[in-house]
Amino acid sequence: MKTELGHANGTAPAIDHDRLRSDIMVQLRRSLAAPSHGEWLWIGSLAAVMLAGVFAYTWQCMNGLKVTGMREYIFWGVYMTNFVFFIGVSHAGTLISAILRVTGAEWRRSITRMAEAITVFALAVGAPMVIIDMGRPDRILNVVLHGRINSPILWDVCSIATYMSGSLLYLYVAMIPDFALLAPRRAMWERLTLRERVFRFLSLGFEDTPEQRKLLEKALATMAVIIIPVAISVHTVVSWIFGMTLRPGWHSTIFGPYFVIGAIFSGTAGIITAMVVFRKVYHLENFLTERQFQNLGRLLIALNLLYIYFTLAEYLTAWYGSEEADHRLIDTLMGKGPYGTSFWAWAVFGLFLPAIMMLVPHRRSLIPRLLIASILINIGMWAKRYLIIVPTLMTPYIPPEAAGVTPSYLPTWVEWTVTLGGFATFLMLFTVFAKVFPIISIWETVEGVTELGAKNIGVDLELPTMTARPPWPRPPIRPRRFVPAPAAVVGIVVLFVALGIVAAAGAEPSQPGSPLQLVIGSRAGDDGPQLTALVRRDGQPVADVPVEFLVRRALGQLRLGTQPTGSNGIAAIDLPTTLPGGPQGELAIVAQIKTGKEVTATAEASVPGGASKAARNESFPRALWSPRAPVALVATIVLLLSIVWSTYSFVIVQLIKIRKTSKP
Amino acid sequence: MNETRREFLGGSLIACGALGAGLLAAKTVRKLQEPPTPVPPAPTLVPALTADGKLVQVEATAMAAPAHPTHMTHSAALTGAAARQGIPGRKWVMVIDLAKCSGCSNCTIACNKMHGTPTDRQWMRVFRMQDGPQQAPYWFPKPCFHCDNPPCTKVCPVGATFKRDDGIVLIDNERCIGCRFCMAACPYSTRYFNWGRPDNAKMKDATYSPETGVPRRVGTVEKCDFCPEMARAGTLPACVTSCDMAAIYFGDQLEDAVSNSEETVRLAQLLEERAAYRYLAELGTEPRVYYLPPKNRDFPGPVPKKSRGHPIAPPAPGAHDHHAATT
Repeated sequence: MKTELGHANGTAPAIDHDRLRSDIMVQLRRSLAAPSHGEWLWIGSLAAVMLAGVFAYTWQCMNGLKVTGMREYIFWGVYMTNFVFFIGVSHAGTLISAILRVTGAEWRRSITRMAEAITVFALAVGAPMVIIDMGRPDRILNVVLHGRINSPILWDVCSIATYMSGSLLYLYVAMIPDFALLAPRRAMWERLTLRERVFRFLSLGFEDTPEQRKLLEKALATMAVIIIPVAISVHTVVSWIFGMTLRPGWHSTIFGPYFVIGAIFSGTAGIITAMVVFRKVYHLENFLTERQFQNLGRLLIALNLLYIYFTLAEYLTAWYGSEEADHRLIDTLMGKGPYGTSFWAWAVFGLFLPAIMMLVPHRRSLIPRLLIASILINIGMWAKRYLIIVPTLMTPYIPPEAAGVTPSYLPTWVEWTVTLGGFATFLMLFTVFAKVFPIISIWETVEGVTELGAKNIGVDLELPTMTARPPWPRPPIRPRRFVPAPAAVVGIVVLFVALGIVAAAGAEPSQPGSPLQLVIGSRAGDDGPQLTALVRRDGQPVADVPVEFLVRRALGQLRLGTQPTGSNGIAAIDLPTTLPGGPQGELAIVAQIKTGKEVTATAEASVPGGASKAARNESFPRALWSPRAPVALVATIVLLLSIVWSTYSFVIVQLIKIRKTSKP
Repeated sequence: MNETRREFLGGSLIACGALGAGLLAAKTVRKLQEPPTPVPPAPTLVPALTADGKLVQVEATAMAAPAHPTHMTHSAALTGAAARQGIPGRKWVMVIDLAKCSGCSNCTIACNKMHGTPTDRQWMRVFRMQDGPQQAPYWFPKPCFHCDNPPCTKVCPVGATFKRDDGIVLIDNERCIGCRFCMAACPYSTRYFNWGRPDNAKMKDATYSPETGVPRRVGTVEKCDFCPEMARAGTLPACVTSCDMAAIYFGDQLEDAVSNSEETVRLAQLLEERAAYRYLAELGTEPRVYYLPPKNRDFPGPVPKKSRGHPIAPPAPGAHDHHAATT
């Protein structure tokens, strides 16, 4: 077997392709065997952790989010970190597989399946993290019923749903020939196992006829191209959850690309980790050779350097410009603040150390070095997302410290358990997938080996808080004017004099007995319209009575001034023509006569002559904050979605054609 | 000319007097003549002063009750879709005079009391600000700014938080999914979240309205609502009436008038004379709350502390409890 394949490139012996195929299949089907004791133990442990996660989440649903460490100010924490992390990991997969496929990198053949599967599982765990973070998961349907396309969350919903569908479709299309291989047409159906029947159904009757092969390749090539922009859109939109807010450290134009690079970076590290594990567990050393690790390692170095570059670009500008809010953030994140140590630990162990480990040549131990670097990067990228979310929430524009609040966040057991449950789910999905489906693409490997030779595809077939008001003493409630002590004496004297005057004034109007009567009118004065008020007692005009004029407003009376009546009993004051009134400019005028502080006579009338009240815009404009979305935004989103979905439809049409061309 | 006018006025006054006396006489006579049986309701006549100073009797309906809704009659808070409509013809605005604020936080206490807000959140929160080490510290009461370009409303995925055409930004906690994106979007840290099950014992029977925000619901967001149900009733918000310093003004921008606990003044004039500004208006949020700079203060300001600008003096823990106990 060894020798046969060893000569695959050579000219001499003709290769027995059927034999080759069956040899490869034998090796790649090993993982599909019934689980061993060890595997059962692994699956059992994962199930236990998942159950613990389910329990923690149920506990959270029963008690509300108060069981988490999140509070006022720091209201997003570990769950959002998990969300960004898993969506990030999901990138690697499909994006790398698609790029390698499009560029014709032949060494991809043994890693694409794993990469595509990572995408689907990471999305399956990442997307629900947002729902776990929600205060009212029971109202999730509101996103559909009342969805607002202006919200980046809706963009996320569309984008992630599109990506998930696309990734599943892509994964499936690339698996069709393997389904056919693993469930070959047999004479009698009874002899097929359940798995074979399912595979047979999923294979769409693929028989590898030239026509079917052409259709399949067309579908696969189309998916590989369309999935790249979709993948990029997903992490860009995730970054916009942060980028679209007005917060220091988040409101950054490079957030889209920064997150996309971060996602591919952590995703590639994720793939390498998975590759090392599967290689070891299922003895795939012949298929996952140094060639794949070498090339992915180079990609990882490039992404690592890019991430260093983006990190520098992001934080250097904030630190150098040193706007007040940025300054506080940088202090919290990288200076003496609570996250200084974590940040620099991340920078050293999650960013620079992996780069150094991979850059310093040491060829012999490539795979272990890559594994250590990848694990450091994975942990580091989770920590980095935490460091993007929490310190920014801790330093809003209005410093909470000025209200006597020091925000802090410590995740609780609920959050950690749910998080562990999430990771366990991810591993479980992967484990089960590897037990049910071939983890390395059989047909692509066979195709590569037979058409290009084992070496050329990198296969070695030798086998392969509160609260505010605080501690500063509560200032005494003072009278509005600041009165020094000596002034108090003067004040008392003045008060007595004033009381005397008021008493004297109060005595005056009661002389003739009957109360004063007021009537309001208006007239044209020398300098424009005037308000008038006639003061009478027993039908006789009274002179020298001060009349106060006011205009009624929604929540109070606006004082226009006080005028004494003339000998004819009429007091007049200029009408404020600029003051907005009713539709015709009518003003609700109040005239009153006061004795001391007590109002002794009052009259009210509606008088024209004010400005007409500015009309209010009764209908909402198209704006981001309005129920009506801007046309350009809607058009863009609809256009993008329809391009992607019509491409998906095209792929599905190819699959239908494959089904139709199969023999009955 | 003056002479003629005075004569004319005098003349008309006599006429008015005569008219009034005549009417009074007529009324008396009629009263005497008619039997004390109930009369069919005649249009009520009220005296009015004409432009030339004559006193005439007109129907009451022509005089009172101005056509525009000065007097708001119904005070019940609205629910459902109606709560998404603003109060007709209004555009609410708040002005806070930092020169008058003594930092007593009566506004906070009154607001918490009125809305039944737990003590760990303050819709109206008083900050102790200091713009720079050489600048005097001052008290800074901060409600929701009810921005005209509200970042919170932009990002809400379900339209649970919304802007009304009377300028108020409200939250419908029957629709809110609790994603807290609005809290992230608000640059003024104005929003609060119901982390646990809220204690609604005092308003068990209340019908929920976004205008009052009660009863509260677990997993939803809440914040200062500008007290629309109070404005509908023609009364000022609790923070305004509770302010002994009369530092907070509230009113209708379209009427060009704002009222504090003591008086009503013209908005445009106040903003102009006192060089009003809006907090962090450079963010483009168009806040509906204006601040009057703390110039010529009425009281001694907070004690200055040395620090690089801003945050000053974190409080000792437990200080708040004491504060709450005094409520």
